[in-house]
Amino acid sequence: MSIRFVIVICFISVSFLSFKRGKISDYESIKKKQPFIQNTSNGKALYEELCIQCHLGTGQATKSIIPPLDGSDWLTKKRKESIHAIKYGLKGPITVNGKNYKGNMPAMGINDQEVTDVMNYIMTAWSNKQTKKVTVEEVATVKK
Amino acid sequence: MKQNFLYLVALITISCNSQEKKNDIPISPENKTYTFETVVDGIDIPWGMTWLPDGSMLVTEKSGVLYHVKNKTKSEIGNVPKVVARGQGGLLDITVHPKYKENGWIYIAYSSDNPIGSNTKIIRAKLQDEKLVAIETIYETTLEKASSRHFGCRIVFDNDGYLYFTVGERGNHDQNPQDITRDGGKVYRLNDDGSIPKDNPFVGKPDAKEAIWTYGNRNPQGMTKHPVTGDIWTHEHGPQGGDEINIVKKGANYGWPIITYGIDYDNTIISAISKKEGMEQPLYYWVPSIAPSGMTFVSSDLYPDWKGHLLVGSLKFQYLELDKIKDGKVIARQKIGTDIGRIRNVAQGPDGYIYIGVEGKGILKIIPN
Repeated sequence: MSIRFVIVICFISVSFLSFKRGKISDYESIKKKQPFIQNTSNGKALYEELCIQCHLGTGQATKSIIPPLDGSDWLTKKRKESIHAIKYGLKGPITVNGKNYKGNMPAMGINDQEVTDVMNYIMTAWSNKQTKKVTVEEVATVKK
Repeated sequence: MKQNFLYLVALITISCNSQEKKNDIPISPENKTYTFETVVDGIDIPWGMTWLPDGSMLVTEKSGVLYHVKNKTKSEIGNVPKVVARGQGGLLDITVHPKYKENGWIYIAYSSDNPIGSNTKIIRAKLQDEKLVAIETIYETTLEKASSRHFGCRIVFDNDGYLYFTVGERGNHDQNPQDITRDGGKVYRLNDDGSIPKDNPFVGKPDAKEAIWTYGNRNPQGMTKHPVTGDIWTHEHGPQGGDEINIVKKGANYGWPIITYGIDYDNTIISAISKKEGMEQPLYYWVPSIAPSGMTFVSSDLYPDWKGHLLVGSLKFQYLELDKIKDGKVIARQKIGTDIGRIRNVAQGPDGYIYIGVEGKGILKIIPN
């Protein structure tokens, strides 16, 4: 109850402040408004360019049809498959946090360094706390 | 203070309601009176499709391959320009000239490869010995920022032979869609050779991009000609919520991002207003977003219940949506192909059948029972 209340208040404040500022949807200002995201590498910029449309700013996605990234057991348990999905797209059903998803994810057409950056971002964003960083060498070993 | 409070209340109301549309027409479940037949498989993202006079198809695969599809087999067309298949970019729409039999022109949209970054580009070419030849540039947008978002890009001819195409605002909604001196966030209208029609709305305006027909658009990935009125209809992606159907009107401003029925992907408010004088209201809008791609009217007699109505593909919900239209309004919605996959494109073929481009699958044909 109280947490929900605090979230609502924060959301209202953010909306209100951002509206007053005029440049409400500029991505730079969005970044400043999300202090809960620690990692501000290139991975975050890539996420906002390529992933946010479906997985949303919260990493929660529209859970009924698109798997969440925040708190995803697939992301923690399926490291290689996660790299593969970003690198080549994802086909076929997967189970995330006990729920089955059968939608496709298109390949993003990004290079190994970018796959590395975006993996390191989503593994540490929101409530995610993976410590073993992905390296570009590791991404290079994941083949189609 | 009181005013501020009221303002807050208004914002809260908007925030809470923005992902729910009041009194919306619910989508009815599928009434399966048809089957899906595979026309061609193994095309990962079949973005655009068109037909040649012999009944064979040309299908673009977003990664940059153009396929010629005959008798359920596909072969690659040669000499396709290099595309940048990053993010939403790649090889996009394709269509043949209305007088293709006489002139052989094929129009293709793609994300171009240039030093500044990838832009939406329209070319035309002819097909000779399974290769593209006589390639001419019809239009290339110029944008300063590199981005892999919101390229548009559908191409449609109207009954007078004008070429329309859509370009999204390339992820720069602060600068592009409301500025007619900049590309992006527009529907364009050109003569078939790329020259600018004299009666385009911004011809002669200082620094204007004179190819612009409408502005204030976000990212239209669906466009089609109404079979009876000849009007050009589009739909466009909203952010979170606020996907729209519009009929394009000369010089009109569709309002993005000043007015919108959506909010941003991180739940921030893009605009507190959804209506403004001088800006068009959509014919219909979706909240939440369905992520529409591809659009066609059904004019053939093969589907009596669908005739005269609109089909729209949904990337997000992975179905085809039938929107029944009456007196310029959507009066009913129905699912077709529940969970079939991300629908990238839909078109009615010259044989009167409806064809859909499904990601991860290829092209499917809807056969009525």
